Amino acid sequence: MDDSTKRLLQRLIRRIPAQTLRTTLEKWGRLTAAQQRSMDFTQPKWALSEKLLAICEENGLTAKHITELEMTNVIDNPNQGMWYAFQLMDPEDDANSIELTQFKEQFKSHLRELVRPVSIKIKKHTDEAVWIRIAWGDSFSRPNHLKPTYVVHHLQTPYVFVTSLTSKQKPLLSQALVLSARYQAIKDANLSGRKLTAIRDLLMRKYQQVFPTMYPSPLGERNQVVSNPHIEKEQAEPAANRLQMACEAFGDGTLPQLQTVVYKLETKFRDHTNKTMTEREEPFSCVVKFASTNLLESLRHCASSGIASTPVTPLLSSILQKGRNYFVITDNGSGPSTQTRQPQT
Amino acid sequence: MAGASATGVLSQLSLLEVKARSRKTQPQQQSRVKELKAKVEALRAQRDQLKAEIETHKHLQKLRASLDKQSTNEEEEEEEMEQDSEHSQLLQLMARHTQLEDLLYAHHTIGGYDVIKTRQGKGVCVSLATAYDGVFLETYNLEIDLKPTLRISRHNVPPFIPLNSLAEQNNLQTNIRTFLDTLSRHLNAFAARKQQLELVKELHKSVQVMESNVLCSILVLMFNVPKQKTAVLCTLDYSDHTRSLPTRVHFESEDEKLPDSPEWKKNCSLLKETPVHKALITMKKMGNIV
Repeated sequence: MDDSTKRLLQRLIRRIPAQTLRTTLEKWGRLTAAQQRSMDFTQPKWALSEKLLAICEENGLTAKHITELEMTNVIDNPNQGMWYAFQLMDPEDDANSIELTQFKEQFKSHLRELVRPVSIKIKKHTDEAVWIRIAWGDSFSRPNHLKPTYVVHHLQTPYVFVTSLTSKQKPLLSQALVLSARYQAIKDANLSGRKLTAIRDLLMRKYQQVFPTMYPSPLGERNQVVSNPHIEKEQAEPAANRLQMACEAFGDGTLPQLQTVVYKLETKFRDHTNKTMTEREEPFSCVVKFASTNLLESLRHCASSGIASTPVTPLLSSILQKGRNYFVITDNGSGPSTQTRQPQT
Repeated sequence: MAGASATGVLSQLSLLEVKARSRKTQPQQQSRVKELKAKVEALRAQRDQLKAEIETHKHLQKLRASLDKQSTNEEEEEEEMEQDSEHSQLLQLMARHTQLEDLLYAHHTIGGYDVIKTRQGKGVCVSLATAYDGVFLETYNLEIDLKPTLRISRHNVPPFIPLNSLAEQNNLQTNIRTFLDTLSRHLNAFAARKQQLELVKELHKSVQVMESNVLCSILVLMFNVPKQKTAVLCTLDYSDHTRSLPTRVHFESEDEKLPDSPEWKKNCSLLKETPVHKALITMKKMGNIV
């Protein structure tokens, strides 16, 4: 085992949460039962990684095996780092019938054609997601296992989720993905977040949506204060109405956790009292950014409590409807009023 | 008689003839009267019946109206029924029957989908329910804007169902029924395949699911043949996404002769014709797999 591999393992052990270290090692399956038992998980991390290094030396494990361990850990803890969504466009006729082995082979060969050396690992998770780990190298260096790119793709869907990708690697990955998934193009889906599960659920429509159907699912009662039966709530109906509209726009139950939404305004300044600004030729650009630990939850609350007006403005409701959290808003001839209106929150 | 003698024999004869004729027709007339009387009776009875029917119908309509009101307003309205209970119950049932018939008719005209108006009639929301083997599964919804053109504004159809291309192919603008029918077939077939996969995992612990995908359009299973102890890899290819049965079944085994044996040929057609979890039960019973 060379130094770089040792460093890789040490860094990896530091990253794996202490509580899940045992199960992660079990899933990895490179230690014998006796070796597994000999590990004392109450010890500090540095001692554990020394012990593990010795075991790896003993078993003759290489960088390849360590990357397997890393992949197991990342798949189990996907909500780290920044994830970006991409959308594949214009499927070929056979895009819907592609299967895993075919995709694997194609992807590997396409990427290897573009860049060499490169280390690619592909693994299918139990939820049908295909996980790809890419360690990039170039003509002067070996694949850098310390900064791998992770790609998650569900076959038969047009979405790809990527983390730690540099702008230099992006066209290479895009080309390999487009060719092996049998599409014609790929574009930025303008959606990013720290939680892979959140942006995946958002695009796959796996959150609980509310529709004005004949038999609406009963909305859960939230924070109901036990009040005097003689006191009638005058505002009960508008409040229920607001809640329904907020849920129609943002969904019901637990919402995908998004951290930010960014609106880049490239619109004209409009104010009758300020002539110099209004008469400027070029657009007045500014950026409106909303940030929260759970942005959609906050927005839903704003709408249901009446802080933001209902029906919810399309600027806010299109986060979920269009599945993106980065918008560029420009003036267009047909409907400037709706296009330029700032979100009221 | 003097007059009679004066007129002669011929007139006498004709008189007699008239007499005789009138004697003959009298009972005839009587029977005609009877006939007419009977007819009057029958018509009266019919009239009474019709009157009663009108009465019942009026009553039914009244009941129907109150039923409709009840179902829309959800208000408990006490029905004032003074008549004998058996009669009123029957009427109530009849009213309910007509109401259901009307509902059924309305349901048919909109293609069996639940459609409701949204945003004061500017849009509609269509619900497509899926079911497999008598079990209701996921319900999918589409919100469609009506103006200026039909446009799907919001939905919860998973991304691997090609909603947009289905809308294009079936001409959503002019032929929404066909579009909804095709979409419903896709969704139901998907739900069925997914449910079958769940059932295979649940009922057949000895069969290993080697491979599947989100659309459940490919399924690779591994069986064990009991006597020879060989493993068989079975690929089910559901390339027609509107169906819940595979279009292609392929076996692979170390024993190269096995897929060509008549027994496994039969299994192949069995898998093509019956849902996979049921086919596996049959194959187990036949002793082809563990």
